[in-house]
Amino acid sequence: MVNLNTVEPRNGRDYYIALGLEGSANKLGVGVIKHPRLASMSGGDNSHNCEVEILSNIRDTYVTPPGEGFLPRDTARHHRNWVIRIIKQALEKAQIMDPRLDIDVICFTRGPGMGAPLHSVAIAARTCSLMWEVPLVGVNHCVGHIEMGREITKAKNPVVLYVSGGNTQVIAYSENRYRIFGETLDVAIGNCLDRFARTLKIPNAPSPGYNIEQLAKNCKNKDKLIELPYTVKGMDLSMSGILAYIDSLAKDLFRGNKKNKLIFDRETGEPKITVEDLCYSLQENLFAMLVEITERAMAHVNASQVLIVGGVGSNTRLQEMMGQMCKDRANGRVHATDERFCIDNGVMIAQAGLLQYRMGDYVKDLSETVVTQKFRTDEVYVSWRE
Amino acid sequence: MSQEIVDAVSQYLTPNVPIKLISQGAEAVVFTTPVHPYCPSNEITKDSKPVQYIIKYRSPKKYRHPVIDKQLTKHRTLSESRLLGKLYLIEGLHVPKLIATDAYNGYIWQEFLGEDLPNDCGFSNLKNYLWMNAKDPYNDVVKDTLFKVGEQIGLLHINDYCHGDLTSSNIVLVRDTNGTNWIPYLIDFGLGSQSNMVEDKGVDLYVLERAIISTHSSFSDKYNDWLIEGFSSVYKKQGKGGVQKLNEVLKRFADVRMRGRKRSMIG
Amino acid sequence: MQLPQFPGVNIEILLFQDVSNANDIRSKIAELPYAFIDARTICSVEQLMSAIYRVMIESKYNRLRTKSLHSEVLLALSPTSNIGEAFKKFGISDDTKNLIMIEINQDNDNSSLDKTVVNGEIVDFNDDNLQKNSDVNAIRKIYKIDQSVEFENISELSRATVNAIQLRGI
Repeated sequence: MVNLNTVEPRNGRDYYIALGLEGSANKLGVGVIKHPRLASMSGGDNSHNCEVEILSNIRDTYVTPPGEGFLPRDTARHHRNWVIRIIKQALEKAQIMDPRLDIDVICFTRGPGMGAPLHSVAIAARTCSLMWEVPLVGVNHCVGHIEMGREITKAKNPVVLYVSGGNTQVIAYSENRYRIFGETLDVAIGNCLDRFARTLKIPNAPSPGYNIEQLAKNCKNKDKLIELPYTVKGMDLSMSGILAYIDSLAKDLFRGNKKNKLIFDRETGEPKITVEDLCYSLQENLFAMLVEITERAMAHVNASQVLIVGGVGSNTRLQEMMGQMCKDRANGRVHATDERFCIDNGVMIAQAGLLQYRMGDYVKDLSETVVTQKFRTDEVYVSWRE
Repeated sequence: MSQEIVDAVSQYLTPNVPIKLISQGAEAVVFTTPVHPYCPSNEITKDSKPVQYIIKYRSPKKYRHPVIDKQLTKHRTLSESRLLGKLYLIEGLHVPKLIATDAYNGYIWQEFLGEDLPNDCGFSNLKNYLWMNAKDPYNDVVKDTLFKVGEQIGLLHINDYCHGDLTSSNIVLVRDTNGTNWIPYLIDFGLGSQSNMVEDKGVDLYVLERAIISTHSSFSDKYNDWLIEGFSSVYKKQGKGGVQKLNEVLKRFADVRMRGRKRSMIG
Repeated sequence: MQLPQFPGVNIEILLFQDVSNANDIRSKIAELPYAFIDARTICSVEQLMSAIYRVMIESKYNRLRTKSLHSEVLLALSPTSNIGEAFKKFGISDDTKNLIMIEINQDNDNSSLDKTVVNGEIVDFNDDNLQKNSDVNAIRKIYKIDQSVEFENISELSRATVNAIQLRGI
């Protein structure tokens, strides 16, 4: 049986405090959470209901100018410049007086993500751990998203759609692993949207995906859809071809390439489609594919609940489509979180890390804290679930 | 399962075609009916039971844009029907008889295959059949059946078709005329395709291997050996060229297994 | 006869043998409200009925490609979408000896089928009679079934024609 009290809170407290550090991409996040020590473990699998209290959740995003993406080196520099200030802010907000006594565990992202930014944050985590003599836990970024989503929505055993800048996966839990049922065969959904935003030269703040969503909402021509490839392959999907194609349409539109009769009217030479139409069609097409592979996984494992996590998960159109799909399935229900938890943050790393820590699984030697760019969701042994 | 879908199907079929729901997958809803769409004289009875037919319906998905939905429903209904039509012409390959297709509305009528296994073991697909034999797992009939299943997959692959969703519930067993042995039929070609890529074939084999391991783990080694024996026999009949092709597929099969990318396909 | 999904539609099918006035029928075929099919091209009830079923489905969703339900039956039988070719292959010719006459009546009136149009002997419309009058090689040729494909019996050939009919042009 799972015993979440395997490791007792430090200093005789009746609660746990975890500090989480996240920096796998362009967001630097630091969060502090609190779990009460459970009185008894008789309730069975409780990992989705830890009664978490969020003491602080601070984030700083490295934003690049329109038309540019974030490079690893610059992103790492941003994280290094800000990490101490953000940690201080987070501790202050959480009213942690003495980290040596008040923190049970420091959790950091071990991967997957961009090497240099991951590395910068890992150094900060190691330093704090040595300085304060607090144990460390390395967390899989995806598992962080899943555990935070479960805790916030109280979904016990959902099929998880994880959609972010670097990942697109359909995940279901089975025998102590989060198993990947379907995933992208090439680029991730967020990456696909980001790159299209770059082609359109729209702002990267607050996020490229958000701006595409707003443009799509303003599409005047929702009956008509620009035909794009639909590339679901069983439970997997492929997006690079779609991106290349819609990119070429956008470029023809900007360049005024009148030869493209799909964009320009044969007679008048006026453009028939707008940037809004492109955004709308792209979203409709990509999201339909995501919902379809999620439904396939649900049918396969006989699940009725879906949890959407990751940055793209805050898109309301995706949530709406997923909700519609669930409505047509017996007892179907969709769970989603808002941008505080969807977008990368430190709290989620703290949540997954604290669960792992409470099961007695923490870093015994600093050599275990080496970050890794490739770290598959199903490599993590999920000891805190039955 | 929403009643709405059943109502829509009943309305399309009219009260003259009574239906019984047998499964709701992600993509299609499957019904049985005792009514043939156009050949009343064919309604002969076997074992004093009325002959059944399968109606597979791809319902509109409200979550996706109507333009995408129409296109997909049509495309998939068609490609499944087309595959059934083409595979039928391959000698030795067993697939259900296509009766009718209405691609615009997403309906396919097929012949009904299989039967209920004795002692409440369920419908006669490979999965249930292997469960039924768990007490005497290595008997000759089981071996013969699995060899023949392997042969069917071999025939499919050597003709450059892939199934795309080859699980043990997508293989239906039909009793031969003597009633002692079983003839395997491949069903559900919704994700099938014409493909000469070894990758697709390797994944097909891997998905089936995982299915056998996950549901019949204690006997899976031998079961999978027998399947591959049957699979190989088809290629070996083609001489040297066949053996070469076989080795390519088996090598990729091993690669896919090593990669373990599909490790979690079977829940 | 009626199809279960189309209860308001009456279908009359007559099989004639030893027809002597094929030439005559051909000359006024445009005026006659029936479909005439050369029986050589039909090997089973299933084959013809599957084409009629397809006609009814196409008609229900307003996708007929020819002028009437009757001419649509000939197109539906064909494995290609070329209307002229379908008429040539399945329609009657001057040397037609056995033919099938079809009336599809959507108005639920009593049948107006005029049997006297054809000078020939009416026999039961069933698989045995159809098989007897069919030309297996001609059917294989029309449906472009490769000579390497062997059929153990006529019902396997029939199945192949049903596949082609259901899959044509879509």
